[in-house]
Amino acid sequence: MIKVLFFGPVAERVGATELKVEFHAGMRVQDLRARLQALYPAAFEIVCFVALNGEHLLDMSTALTDNSEVVFMSKFSGG
Amino acid sequence: MADNEIKAAVRIQHEDFSQDEEIRALQASSKRMGGIGTFLGCARDFSEGRDVSEISFDAYGSMALSEMSKLRTDAIAKFGLLDARIVHRIGTVKGGENIVFIAAGAEHRVAALEACRWMIDELKQRVPIWKKEITPQGDAWVTPHP
Repeated sequence: MIKVLFFGPVAERVGATELKVEFHAGMRVQDLRARLQALYPAAFEIVCFVALNGEHLLDMSTALTDNSEVVFMSKFSGG
Repeated sequence: MADNEIKAAVRIQHEDFSQDEEIRALQASSKRMGGIGTFLGCARDFSEGRDVSEISFDAYGSMALSEMSKLRTDAIAKFGLLDARIVHRIGTVKGGENIVFIAAGAEHRVAALEACRWMIDELKQRVPIWKKEITPQGDAWVTPHP
């Protein structure tokens, strides 16, 4: 399974802080994003950053592995 | 934790922090320190034309802590600091209360001041923390300021 986390304004728009998505071999971050974007379009309107296993991710074609943790995040507003 | 035990240099916590305690811990790391630059971020009780009663913070805790640690290491290398500390609160913070404290210690003032400014600017760009203003008119997630 892929663990998907949401925080702050994205979590509010999704209506959840965590989802589990079934893992398939060859699955890439962009595939996961497209699937979730179709389900939660309003949330993904504000998604600007993606983290994979706790690190900023720039390449959306990165392959996922089973038990990956993915976070779709809006602009940060800490400080 | 014993009163005289020095806390970690990078922390995310619900409770308030003591600027004096953080500065003492920074000074304890080196006697070569000739300048300390600090930044204290506070919760405003008025924003975008509205009264704000409190601010609520959400964070991707593990990544936020890891990014803050990297930020400290990067600042030490980039500005030749002797030491640096970053503390950020999460949870609910009332108007006027402390949110974030950054301290940079260097041999001379220029590096300390520039590093401090750089760290708060970078923190806002790199660290996954979000704030929501609680107002009498309702709650609103804050859009980042440049």
